[in-house]
Amino acid sequence: MNKLHLVSAVAAVVWAGGLNSAQAQEYPVDTVTLITHSSPGGGSDVFLRELSRYLAPYLGANVIVENVSGGSGAKAMAQLAQAPADGSMFYATTPTFIYTSLLSDPEYKYTDLEPLVNFFIDPEVIYTSAKSEFKTLEDVIQYARDGRGQWGAANPASLERQALEQLKAASGVNAAVVTHEGGGDMMINVLNGTLQIGVGEVQEIQSQIEAGELRLLATFSDKRLDAFPEVPTVKETGYDVVVRKFRGLAGPKGLPDDVVAAWEAATQKVLADPKYKEAYEGANLRAEFIPHADYVKFIETFGAETEGFLKETGVIE
Amino acid sequence: METLTHTAAFLLEWNVILAALIGVTWGIMGGSLPGISPSITMALLLPFTYTLDPTSAIVLLASTYIGAEYGGSVPAILIRTPGTNAAAATVIDGYEMNRQGKAGLALGISLYSGVIGSLFGLAMLMTLSGPLAQVALAFTPMAYFALGILGLSVIATLSGENLVKGLIAAMLGLIIATIGSDPVTGGTRFTFGSAELLGGIEPVMIMVGLFAMSELLVQASRRGKDDRVTSRPRIQFPDWPLAKRLIPAQLIGNGIGTFEGVMPGAGGTIASFMSYNEARRWSRHPEEFGKGSPEGIAAPETANNTVAETALVPLLSFGIPGSNSTAILLGGFLIHGIVPGPMLFQKSGEVVYGLYAGLFTAAIGQLVIGMAMLPVCIWLVNRPRPYLNAFIFALILSGIYSIHNEAFDLGIMIAAGVAGFFMRMLRFPFLPTVLGLVLGYLVESNFRRSLVLSGDDLMIFVDDRISLALLVLAFLFIGGSIAKRGYELLRHRPSSTFSENAES
Repeated sequence: MNKLHLVSAVAAVVWAGGLNSAQAQEYPVDTVTLITHSSPGGGSDVFLRELSRYLAPYLGANVIVENVSGGSGAKAMAQLAQAPADGSMFYATTPTFIYTSLLSDPEYKYTDLEPLVNFFIDPEVIYTSAKSEFKTLEDVIQYARDGRGQWGAANPASLERQALEQLKAASGVNAAVVTHEGGGDMMINVLNGTLQIGVGEVQEIQSQIEAGELRLLATFSDKRLDAFPEVPTVKETGYDVVVRKFRGLAGPKGLPDDVVAAWEAATQKVLADPKYKEAYEGANLRAEFIPHADYVKFIETFGAETEGFLKETGVIE
Repeated sequence: METLTHTAAFLLEWNVILAALIGVTWGIMGGSLPGISPSITMALLLPFTYTLDPTSAIVLLASTYIGAEYGGSVPAILIRTPGTNAAAATVIDGYEMNRQGKAGLALGISLYSGVIGSLFGLAMLMTLSGPLAQVALAFTPMAYFALGILGLSVIATLSGENLVKGLIAAMLGLIIATIGSDPVTGGTRFTFGSAELLGGIEPVMIMVGLFAMSELLVQASRRGKDDRVTSRPRIQFPDWPLAKRLIPAQLIGNGIGTFEGVMPGAGGTIASFMSYNEARRWSRHPEEFGKGSPEGIAAPETANNTVAETALVPLLSFGIPGSNSTAILLGGFLIHGIVPGPMLFQKSGEVVYGLYAGLFTAAIGQLVIGMAMLPVCIWLVNRPRPYLNAFIFALILSGIYSIHNEAFDLGIMIAAGVAGFFMRMLRFPFLPTVLGLVLGYLVESNFRRSLVLSGDDLMIFVDDRISLALLVLAFLFIGGSIAKRGYELLRHRPSSTFSENAES
């Protein structure tokens, strides 16, 4: 009951769509298993299951999804790191797998895996209650400058908290970064005025924005969002903070070149698939294909930055 | 009124009715298996909902939730093992009644109280969603902390004859609750480098260990032949005088269940314990509690089924899941491209009316399916002891293993069982441990969150009105209970305090 973000569930092996698809091209194995540590219905689980519906014909292999919950991804990482590097098994990566590696120091870490490609960047936005007096991010910063601010992040070890700590440092104001047990708790505290702002993904607060109960103040992305062109980026507001919550795949170390090439081709094709595009754009995901070589570097940099942040804030030694 | 007519239209849709009946049956089965929590029962079904239409999918999942919350009481009564966290309070009097050969009546009471809880909760959900959502919105971290303290105040009365033993037992639960990740910084605590402990210890493992495993150990250590009073394998509903006596307890369950259900994160376990405690406080026969009181089953079982319905209020109104089970339900919505929240009624009103109709069908279906299944369950527990105990042992091991597919968890459960065995020997009550375990995290995380908000100023708990009111209430409860104990001690009266495991 206590930790919502660690919803426990049984690993359910499920055959998703695309079972009967013809083998369009040569892929070294017949069946690809995509593993996520999130339980059925969780963020990465929905991402993988939606993807598995469309991916099979482009990849030329059957795609199934398996949930390996436990240890916030520690168990899934261990399974992946010991799997054969033949392209038969991959793991859905989000910043969580880096946080888990750094925070809990499991036997197998993100550095024991090889990042494959990236699919999406989830935009992180700053929002406030529509009833509040804050119209711009500068108002919120000014409020904190005059007295003391209260800003909300969904989880203690999260990219959202990191983003707020960075914003706090960049603006030099006195603000408490209040952590929660998930985005829901935090949203209530923004709605009832306990917090001035919260940080979250657009899709989590979509319904409240449409109903006019929450107001977007800024986005942590590097460019303005297509869906909300009037919302400025944090960078534009004058604070150099950009956050990239990635969603991609990683495999065991030593992935063969043909597997990598097949995925790079298939990923670009599936992201362009009109039906899939409609589905993910409806969920406010931003496609951002990052090829293998760049993705390896991206994860490396991300890991180093996160480690620096966790050490600075005294979470790890 | 409009809601009613829209909902009634769905009562003729065969797919909604079918989904509700399948869901509630599956839910009762999952809920009655110890270790298989309502959320796991729902998660197992989730993949099958991909191909269904949105309304049937949501109805299937929500009905499973209802069924599972009820199903938890079956093993609580029959084998002293709560099938779900929220059924822990039912163990006390349910298992006592079973030992007196009244298992059929105990199951009948829990079934019909569950149905009453479901229907009442559904009525609240349909008519008062708006106001109830406002209540949930008014709860700040300070108020949640105070709510947790109110829940913990129940320990004062659940401790049995010895308050000190009760407090020690509660501390044990609170200590176990600190294992895992720090709620504010995210660092690890007391995990000793083990990845399995990272997510903390699930209360269900400790509960199954304390109740079921220790019972198996106690029976294994007992000499002599099987001298159980066996119950007839027949469901028995209470007669009118008894039904009348249960009404206050059920109303208490309805009220507390409605309130706790709409609080994200509070949930069924607090609701059933508080209802149990209040039912005892207001009962005309408080001395029967702990010794097989029918009200002691009616109150918590009404409460946890009411919670299963009103827990949908924050989910539908804000898109906020208050528990693991509603998080799975949220997943079910999202898979079908429906986003719960303030726009739900405008955008997908039909799905919501379909859901109401499905929940109504599920509540009725719960009664029918419960009546068909329960005699079989009673027959099963009437089998000879050695076979039954081996079966129970296999059942709890596989149930606990299925939570994370970790053999490590079996060790935790068995360790809790051994600890429970000695606690029983030394007459330590279990319920304070369970309460401490379930509430520890809620209390700690909200206390610390409030202090982060205020900059370490404790006055924040007084400034927040809801928090102040709940804290005052909690202190009145504790003070009253201690004063009563003192008074009885002075008058040298035989203590009328509640005793959890009177005989053993």
